[in-house]
Amino acid sequence: MTVRLLSRLGIGLAWLVLLAAAPLGVAAGDNPLLPTIVPGKGDKCVEPTDVMRRDHMEFILHQRDETMHRGIRTTRHSLKECIECHVQTDDQGNYIPINDPQQFCSSCHTYASVKMDCFQCHATTPEQK
Amino acid sequence: MALTGIYAFLFYLAFVVLVAGLGYKIVQYARTPAPLKIPTTPAPTTRSGVALRMGREVVLFESLFRSNKWIWIFGWLFHAGLFIVLARHLRYFTEPVWWWVDLIQPFGKYGAFAMIIGLVGLWARRLLVDRVRYITSPSDHLMLLLLTAIGVSGALMTFVNHTDIVAVKAFFLGIMGFEFASMQPLPGDILLLLHLGMVVLLMLIFPFSKLLHAPGLFFSPSRNQVDNPRAEPGLRAHDSRHVAPWAVELETDRKA
Repeated sequence: MTVRLLSRLGIGLAWLVLLAAAPLGVAAGDNPLLPTIVPGKGDKCVEPTDVMRRDHMEFILHQRDETMHRGIRTTRHSLKECIECHVQTDDQGNYIPINDPQQFCSSCHTYASVKMDCFQCHATTPEQK
Repeated sequence: MALTGIYAFLFYLAFVVLVAGLGYKIVQYARTPAPLKIPTTPAPTTRSGVALRMGREVVLFESLFRSNKWIWIFGWLFHAGLFIVLARHLRYFTEPVWWWVDLIQPFGKYGAFAMIIGLVGLWARRLLVDRVRYITSPSDHLMLLLLTAIGVSGALMTFVNHTDIVAVKAFFLGIMGFEFASMQPLPGDILLLLHLGMVVLLMLIFPFSKLLHAPGLFFSPSRNQVDNPRAEPGLRAHDSRHVAPWAVELETDRKA
């Protein structure tokens, strides 16, 4: 027991030294610790990535209130536009529902154990053109 | 990145201190002699009865309920809230997340309120009840302050100022699996750093504080003993009647 604890402490210390010596840069895509991050279509999102990772649910809920309760319909934070950009297509060119496992929404939501109720009403794919 | 390293180190240190310290205290409690038969009566007369009573004590705080309703309400509210909040936090340390954690996760949010209301109530008692204030030491206030601050900073992250929880989980999976090569940076949000820093502090002082009542409860002689002083094996008791050794000899003689 004690030996194992000491070794853990040792490893922790060793890592600190390692960090000081060589800053580690690892691409997010192939990291086993992270969920799959599906890239979107455009260059960048409607808000900075850092902000979106923290507050996307606030934007979407705020947009819902503005649209449903006040009748102001804009596109900047519209769920429809989120899906438009972040949806993937399969080999036949058909859209894959955005809440399927490993897709843009579910990948992180499953990882963080957070349920979405968006798609009880909203479509999970854009309209097929 | 330096911040990530410091927090990773702090968590390793706090984990070692918590586990080793708790282990030491539990061994110490287990080895402490309890020579007297002193269960608080009425007490169960069988071992399974004692287990059941201990279970009620742990889950419902039965004896506290009988002694003081105010402390029971706030104390139980805090502990129940803490339990569900801790269960909800398991999502940061398990991948894939356990099914029952998925199930309670949406409700766990509100555990924070139960926790904070309970703590505020217990703190008010230490400030407003004269005779309790008289016996309150600074450490009592500091402990309440630490727990309240952890609860409030956590609730603020859930309800007001979010952090990147995916990055938080990646950080913890990294330090738990010793995957230093692919270690993820901890987000720099001040609330998160405060929250985690105070959790480290709590883990560090846990084995030296009154929070040891958690393991200690199981070693309380008045709670973990069977009420059978009149039926000890070896005394040839008649199940419920204590028979002194000299009387046992007399009875044996008569039968012989």
